[in-house]
Amino acid sequence: MDVTLKFEREDRDDLHTLIHIIGDVTIHTSPRLREQLKPMYTSKMQEIHVALDQVDFMDSSGIATLVEGLQWSRLTGGRFVLSGLRDNVRDVFSLAKLDTIFDIEDSIA
Amino acid sequence: MGIPSVQDVSFPECESSHVGKLSLQLNCNSDCIHVLRSMVAVMTARAGMSELRSNRVAIGVDELFANITTHAYGGNAGRIELETSIIDQPDNNQVLIFDFRDYASRMWSGDIKEVASRPDDHENLCPGGLGLKLICSVSDCCEHTALEDGNHWRLIFNINDGENDGCNA
Repeated sequence: MDVTLKFEREDRDDLHTLIHIIGDVTIHTSPRLREQLKPMYTSKMQEIHVALDQVDFMDSSGIATLVEGLQWSRLTGGRFVLSGLRDNVRDVFSLAKLDTIFDIEDSIA
Repeated sequence: MGIPSVQDVSFPECESSHVGKLSLQLNCNSDCIHVLRSMVAVMTARAGMSELRSNRVAIGVDELFANITTHAYGGNAGRIELETSIIDQPDNNQVLIFDFRDYASRMWSGDIKEVASRPDDHENLCPGGLGLKLICSVSDCCEHTALEDGNHWRLIFNINDGENDGCNA
C-alpha cells in the first residue's frame, strides 16, 4: 500500500509520451496524477500512454482523473491509452462499465 | 509476575461485545484512506475473502469515506467514526459490516437505489459521480440514516455468497 504516488515519464518525441504511474491512486493521491497529466492535454500532443502496471489500487477519483484524458482524446483526436492494468484495477473499470470505453492495452508499448 | 501469556489476556464480560470488532475515530484527512485500507485488509482476511472481493470491499469503504469527506464535510475538518465487525446471521451465513458515523451539518438526502440505477452516459462522460454507483455495485447493501447531528452509513457484504449482486437493501 503506497501513500504517495510516483511517476516516470518517457517522452518518445514531442507528440508521443509514456507515463508510468507507481502507487495507489486514491482521493489522496489523484490530485498529483492530475497535475502530471494536465500539461499533456494539448492540441499538439498525439498520443498519451499511461502505464498502470505498478498500480495496485484505484478508486473513482483515479478513474475521474483518467476520464479527463478520455475527454482530451475525444476533443482533439489524440490517442489516450491505458495499459498493464492489474486485475484489481481492471475490475474497477469493469464495475464502472468503462473497460470498453477506454482504449486499454494489455502490454505496455 | 512476568510477561502475560495469551490466555491471561481476556476481555471483561462487559466488554465482550467488542471482541472481533475494529473501531476507528478519524479526522477526515484524505490520507486516512490508507488507514481504512489496512482495516479492510484485516477484516476481509478474517472473513476468508478472495483478493478480488477484498479489493471490492476496499473500494466500497474508500468511496464512502471519500463521499463523507468531500460532500458531507465539504473538504473541511470533521470527525468520522468507523466500526467494522463480522456478524453471524440466523441462516448460518455471515456478513461483514462497516458502520460510518459523521457529524456533518450537511445531511445527505438522496436515494441510494435511484443513484445506483441511473443509466450510464458514456457519450457525455464527466469526471465525478462514480463513487456512489461503485459503492452500490460492490456492496450487498448500503443503508443511510440521516440523524439530527450527522449521518449514519452502513455497508454490508455477504461473506458466504461469493459475488454480490449490488444494493439489495
